[in-house]
Amino acid sequence: MKDKLKKIQQEILNQIAKIKNIDSLCDLEIKYLGRKGELTKILRMIADLSVKEKAAIGTLANNIKREIQKEISRKKDILSSSLKSGTKTDVTLPGGKIARGHIHPITQVQNDLEDLFSSLGFMVLDGPELESDYYNFGALNIPAFHPARDIQDTFYIDKKNEAGKYDLVMRTHTSPVQIRAMKEFGAPLRCVAPGRTFRSEAIDASHEHTFYQLEGLMISEDISLTNLLAVLKEMLSGIFDRPVNIRVRPGYFPFVEPGLEIDVNCTICGGKGCPSCKGSGWLEMLGAGMVHPNVLTAGGIDPDKFSGFAFGLGINRLVMMKYGIKDIRLFQSGDLRFLEQF
Amino acid sequence: MQISLNWFKDFVNIPKSITPEELGLRLTMHTVEIDGVKSQSDKYKNIVVGKILEIKKHPNADRLQLVKVDIGKIKLDIVCGAVNIKAGQFAPVALAGAILPNGIEIKEAAVRGEKSEGMLCAPDELGLGDDHSGILILDQPAKIGVNLSDYLNLKDIVFAIDNKSITHRPDLWSHYGLAREIAAFLNTKFKPFKYNNKLLKSAPKIELKAKVDDFTLCPRYMAVAMEGIVIAESPQWMKERLMAVGMRPINNIVDITNYVMLEMGQPLHAFDAAKIKQADGYKILVRRAKDGETMETLDSEARKLDSETLVITDGRQPLALAGVMGGLGSEINSTTKTIILESANFNFLSIRKTVQKLGLRTESSMRFEKALDPNLCELALARAVELIKKIIPRTKVISNLVDLSAVKAGGNKYGLNQGPIELDLNWLERRMGVIIDNKKIINILESLGFVVKASKEKLEVIVPTWRATRDISIPEDLLEEAARIYGYNKLAPAMPKIKMQKPCSSPERIYERKIKNILAGAGVLTEVYNYSFVGEDQLKKLNIDYTAHLKILNPIAAHQTMLRQSLAPNLINNIKTNQARHDLMALFEIGNVYFSTPGNIKKDAAGNGHLPYQERRIGIIFGGRETAAVFGKVKSVIGLLAESFNLTVKFNPSETIYNWADQQICAFIEIEGKIIGSIVKLDSRLQAGLGLKKEVAVAEINFNDFINAIMKKSNRGYKELDKYPQSARDLAFVVNAQILYNDIKKRIENFDKLIKAVELFDVYEGGQLGKDKKSLAFHITYQADRTLTSAEVDNLQQKLIKDLKEKFAAKIRDF
Repeated sequence: MKDKLKKIQQEILNQIAKIKNIDSLCDLEIKYLGRKGELTKILRMIADLSVKEKAAIGTLANNIKREIQKEISRKKDILSSSLKSGTKTDVTLPGGKIARGHIHPITQVQNDLEDLFSSLGFMVLDGPELESDYYNFGALNIPAFHPARDIQDTFYIDKKNEAGKYDLVMRTHTSPVQIRAMKEFGAPLRCVAPGRTFRSEAIDASHEHTFYQLEGLMISEDISLTNLLAVLKEMLSGIFDRPVNIRVRPGYFPFVEPGLEIDVNCTICGGKGCPSCKGSGWLEMLGAGMVHPNVLTAGGIDPDKFSGFAFGLGINRLVMMKYGIKDIRLFQSGDLRFLEQF
Repeated sequence: MQISLNWFKDFVNIPKSITPEELGLRLTMHTVEIDGVKSQSDKYKNIVVGKILEIKKHPNADRLQLVKVDIGKIKLDIVCGAVNIKAGQFAPVALAGAILPNGIEIKEAAVRGEKSEGMLCAPDELGLGDDHSGILILDQPAKIGVNLSDYLNLKDIVFAIDNKSITHRPDLWSHYGLAREIAAFLNTKFKPFKYNNKLLKSAPKIELKAKVDDFTLCPRYMAVAMEGIVIAESPQWMKERLMAVGMRPINNIVDITNYVMLEMGQPLHAFDAAKIKQADGYKILVRRAKDGETMETLDSEARKLDSETLVITDGRQPLALAGVMGGLGSEINSTTKTIILESANFNFLSIRKTVQKLGLRTESSMRFEKALDPNLCELALARAVELIKKIIPRTKVISNLVDLSAVKAGGNKYGLNQGPIELDLNWLERRMGVIIDNKKIINILESLGFVVKASKEKLEVIVPTWRATRDISIPEDLLEEAARIYGYNKLAPAMPKIKMQKPCSSPERIYERKIKNILAGAGVLTEVYNYSFVGEDQLKKLNIDYTAHLKILNPIAAHQTMLRQSLAPNLINNIKTNQARHDLMALFEIGNVYFSTPGNIKKDAAGNGHLPYQERRIGIIFGGRETAAVFGKVKSVIGLLAESFNLTVKFNPSETIYNWADQQICAFIEIEGKIIGSIVKLDSRLQAGLGLKKEVAVAEINFNDFINAIMKKSNRGYKELDKYPQSARDLAFVVNAQILYNDIKKRIENFDKLIKAVELFDVYEGGQLGKDKKSLAFHITYQADRTLTSAEVDNLQQKLIKDLKEKFAAKIRDF
């Protein structure tokens, strides 16, 4: 009996080892371990043995049965896993979707600018969007009846002051922050102020009444025109992430003297001339200049002791250039087809 | 403004080596922004001289003719309706591909079944006047096939100037002023206009009696009368120049006044003397208009005037709006024989006010608004008289020369500030950052008309009158003159030497960025930017009372007339914009709202008054199909936001937050014990009116309050790890739906000091629970500074259950 068991055990293990597919394994399982299986038959015969034999053979038989079952199960795992990895797993299927949100492209570019200026040691400041006539114009050397104060350019608030004058405006530029910063921090000073600005303008694909600017200001002892050129060139190289060439032209802004327009060599054609730069090879990027002594004085800084420069950058335009956006109205459209691209 | 190259050449030598494009670029780099450089010959591209060979009747149309035209290389068939043409004549032919000055593009076409390979042009179609009575017949002999611009001898180049870049330069609104600049930066000779003093003098035949009421409004008034005027077309050369720069020729006298304005920058006006003659002679009175006084201007508009407006009168009634536009009553016409020619200077502010009030901006007012030099009056008057005499040789000055101005003490004529300005050369070098040879600087200033007295370390600079009205007054202005003519791009950039300084950091900006990253990251929201403006219609639909909203004085659209006091209305619009394409929308905005009450920010340096209160807010909106879902999601996002900064958040019931809220589904948001915002489900009954097809829930949080909460919490210390194990028990019970989670939670938290944390993990309503019941399930964590026994915790839990039964009639559910 004992030999018989050992023999059949060996026989089964040999066969399992040779089996190559799962169907044959199932057949084998039925052949030996099924209700009428060969091993089952032998095990049934144990019942007829004497008590003493039963104890010895029984234990052996059960061990053998367990070992075989274990071996079959092990083989099953091997065969079925090779089945999976071999043919049926579509590795190209996507994983479960994890949704994401979107940050407005102006925020993204503004963040990059803030990081750049922070790295150059500039403070990043904020100022009120609803400004007084004084900070938006008067303190910036834009006296009453200056063309820049034209009603057609400025949103005035329908609220008169004690003197019966309209003295509240939606800020037309981020420049009022210059004065507020000078008053708060004094000189020397290095700061930028990004933010929302307003002009009373009919809107179309290239005009918006609500847009974004970044104001910059640097004041110290003996800041010169050539310092302005060097810092702005470095800064524009940072914005475009490449060394840029700049071109400087006269410009007119009442709060600087001299006033400058600063162009960079066209990013698209590299300066050869293309539709983006209207064939000139240059892109208009910044308004800048040396801070007017009247402005320093309005900010409480002694113009005989300190000098400085200021600049203004249109953020919308930068974003439009970066992504090739043709319609400025999209920024405030709230249209998810646009926003979800960023 | 358009400027002609040929005209420049009257006043400045331009070397042949400088191409028009180069000159345009130099102007941009040194003086004004040039928008374009256009050759006149481009204007008549594909328009050639043709000879009419034969004319036949059009077989299918009575009024049309078939014309055969020789254009040199080939002969064309052209259908034409004009009746003034004859075989053998020469006429301009627009070929296929030509674009006429009026924008019409010429194509080959069939006209009533007959092919037409081009077009014969009338004068108006070529921008050569108003005549449309027939085809322009060209003088013979003409060369067949040559370009029309060659035939017309149009060789001028026109520069388009960006007007915005010269708002501060009254002297640059003219060929004369720009020529002076060109001479300076090309370092060539400027040829100033010179005239004979006798030109304006005469043995007066008539007396012009003039009076100026207020010299602050009219610093100088000059006029003369001229007789022998014969009104006719201007000579060709003058018409060509006027047309080249976009000015329509009218008649010789009007053209001359326009010509002198474009040349010298001084607007002139000519009155018909006969129309202002009175029994006792000729009178001119410059005065403020009377309130309610009216006059009809040249554009045939009846203008209602008031005392802010300056008028030229004959002592009885207004003849002209000073510096803006002439009156119809004294206009020059074909019968004019004698004129009174005015060359005056008007105060820029007064002109600006008139322009704004009347909404009438003219070539003349544009120049006066910049503050012109009163000395220019004389130059321009002389130039005009010279031109009138040249063009109508028999004319004569027949009056005294009127020249009125305020008598000023101390030789400071017309109140001009000519300095001298002291220019410290050391200062100049420090501000420039480079050394420029003193001689070079003096040369530049002198070429621009400054008078310079040099000493060792400084220059005394006298400002020329044409720059002394408002433009130049301080050393910085002189620095600009020197640097721009020298060339900004010749200055080598140099980095400043500065102290290193740690920039002050702004927590608002740092946390704003973090908040945006959380909302768009784990929150899966999309950031939107909305306008700061809202409109009546939009607010009415939300039942919002807008009486206290700040209004825009000059709004540009009916839906953007007020400043927003909440981010919600525009966020709700965003849902409407996108609802057709999305089942669920999740948006946020961080932006400002504006109130009419005063805030903390000062209005001016003196501290007189404060700006209206402005507040930054975080707005969060969900739009979707189910009320519970959108409201719940907004709360989840608020929870995420609070959790991200370790802040505790509570939603407190509120009955009245907004008129547009569902009164059952709105709550205040309490962060760290302070109410800092609200969360609201939009009343479904308002949806239809708003065009909304989705349920909407909105939260708004005061940004600064939120930042303050973060900052307070951010310096919390580290908590030691627990030495003893926690015991956790779950507890679920059914209560009446009216009983608030907040109250239950508080009760459990405060029940025993061993209870360290209470966390809701399941809410269930409906089903077998029955109406008005809800089931809440909590994880309760017990902990002490020793190891708690199981029996101890069970005992406490039983007491808690008993308490909840008594307090809230809670029915415990078995697990």
